[in-house]
Amino acid sequence: MAPKGKHASSVLTTPERFPTADAWRQGRRWRRWRKLFPMLCGIVLVIIMILVAALAPWCAPFSPSEQFSAYVLKGPGAGGKHLLGTDEFGRDLLSRIIWGARVSLHVGLAAVVVGFALGVPLGITAGFLGGRVAMLIMRLTDMLMAFPTLLLALIIVAALGGSLVNEIVAIGMALTPNFTRLARGLALTIRANDYIMAARALGCTPVRIMLRHILPNAISTLVVIATLDIASAIRTEAGLSFLGLGVPPPTPSWGNILSEGRQYIKCCTWLTTYSGLAIMLAVLAFNLMGDALRDLLDPRLRGE
Amino acid sequence: MFQYVMRRLLLAVPMLLGAMSIVFFAMRVLPGDPCMALMGDQATRDALQDCVRDLGLERPVVVQYGEFLWKSVRLDFGQSFRQHYRVTDYILRMFPYTFTLVLASMVIALAIGLPTGILSALQRRNPLIDYSVRLIALLGLSMPVFWFGILLLILFSLHWDLFPLIGGGDMTTVLDMLTSGECVTSPEDFLAAVVDVLHHLVLPAFTLGITLAATVSRLSRSAMLEVISQDYIRTARAKGLSERLVIYKHALRNMTIPLLTIIGVFMAVAMTGTVLTETVFTRPGLGKMLVDAIGARDYPLAQGAITVFTMMIMGVNLLVDILYAACDPRLVYS
Repeated sequence: MAPKGKHASSVLTTPERFPTADAWRQGRRWRRWRKLFPMLCGIVLVIIMILVAALAPWCAPFSPSEQFSAYVLKGPGAGGKHLLGTDEFGRDLLSRIIWGARVSLHVGLAAVVVGFALGVPLGITAGFLGGRVAMLIMRLTDMLMAFPTLLLALIIVAALGGSLVNEIVAIGMALTPNFTRLARGLALTIRANDYIMAARALGCTPVRIMLRHILPNAISTLVVIATLDIASAIRTEAGLSFLGLGVPPPTPSWGNILSEGRQYIKCCTWLTTYSGLAIMLAVLAFNLMGDALRDLLDPRLRGE
Repeated sequence: MFQYVMRRLLLAVPMLLGAMSIVFFAMRVLPGDPCMALMGDQATRDALQDCVRDLGLERPVVVQYGEFLWKSVRLDFGQSFRQHYRVTDYILRMFPYTFTLVLASMVIALAIGLPTGILSALQRRNPLIDYSVRLIALLGLSMPVFWFGILLLILFSLHWDLFPLIGGGDMTTVLDMLTSGECVTSPEDFLAAVVDVLHHLVLPAFTLGITLAATVSRLSRSAMLEVISQDYIRTARAKGLSERLVIYKHALRNMTIPLLTIIGVFMAVAMTGTVLTETVFTRPGLGKMLVDAIGARDYPLAQGAITVFTMMIMGVNLLVDILYAACDPRLVYS
């Protein structure tokens, strides 16, 4: 960000050439606030989402599968109790979106855990040990990298069939190459440090060095990328559901609400609008948090 | 240089082979049975067996795999299970739709993303510009492409009735006219056909282009920041060049390599985007074909589509690598 010193506070706070001490302090406060604000937004949104998902049975006004035959495809505010309207079976859209948050968060978090658990050990091993093993791992990774995440997830989920667990496995596996590549790069840099040589000289086993010396030094960068990957996992999940390859229909997920609502865009735009909005807010929340975490934890990734 | 290109080409072969193997075996473990999908669950056992024999599915998987690879080398992906046309013909018919979509969205994404990203990097002391650009880019990055597409459809096709709701126009006619020379003899018909195709292209291209512009904008912002922190920029400033000269002559020219990286990333993201965009707009193309083929358990069609996808992504990455080397000769010798 802006360098500390006289020039830094310029644009917003001081019309005069020489800022007063007060204005300078105010400028600094403003800058700090400006940095923290996006992260606060992200964290608040994420917390709200987690709470809503966890408390879905209590905070949803109706059951997601309850059908109100008098209110089929009624717009937002119908009957004074369906805040976001109802779908083609007369089910309450708000309740379905709230329950859908469970699927999205579940898949988003679990898929990243899977990707992390598969990719990071592979990457660190490849980076630290090198040689034939590394070559094999990286060739395999390159091969998987040739597929974009959604395409790879699409193939895997098509092979396994659409269900919550399969979706998690598919997206997790699709995210694995990213983690492998990143972890390898980090391990390569960390390996060059003197403390690794010291650990080796002390007779640490390779496994111990990887676990106790390399992983802790790589973890902050990995966490940043993992947070951003949650966003991409949620988007991929929605994409899969949208294509009809996600959680099977009676269970609400944002993607399949949107996909079902697509048939009714001529009359009932709220079905697609609100479910899409939910996806966007969720992805935005994790992106904001990831960006802010990156600034905090890992200045190297900032690109500034 | 020649050696470098050959080495990259040779490296691409095992990767493509691996990618094709993944596709092949993933298709074979699909839970559904292609014959069941073809004939419905009312089919008698005899009919199903006939069907399996007709499609060549009774042979050992290894034999099928060998045949698939051997034929793919000659760009022959077999016959579709459902309609008995050749997959290669079908892909050739679909390819122009996807190609134009990717190309048009690339132009839009670069036209919007590059200037905004560069501007935001250069004006990073001006929160009004930098922050609004970054905020919009973040929103664009978070927006699912299929949702944005539907919103555009609702507004421009349903509400204002400016663009068609479905379809991709008659690309075949345009291409036929081009090859038969009819575009010269009857330019009016040709023009009308082209306009029709473009009319169908506008919304999908904008949908994909604008969501991708967000990625491009973020990438080009950090690339520009990287460039202007280099020593040669400081030197240029120190020797008293005007800011305009520093930016246009020293900074922007050094954006070439990051720009190539951006295009490489772009291709992979765009391919994902076409699958969703084509589904939203019910537009013919490789992406839609792939989704339909997976749904119908049409192995040859899905294999062909994914192989072509992978080849396109690898081809662009190969091209980017070669251009890298052309821009920065140091890469060849290291």
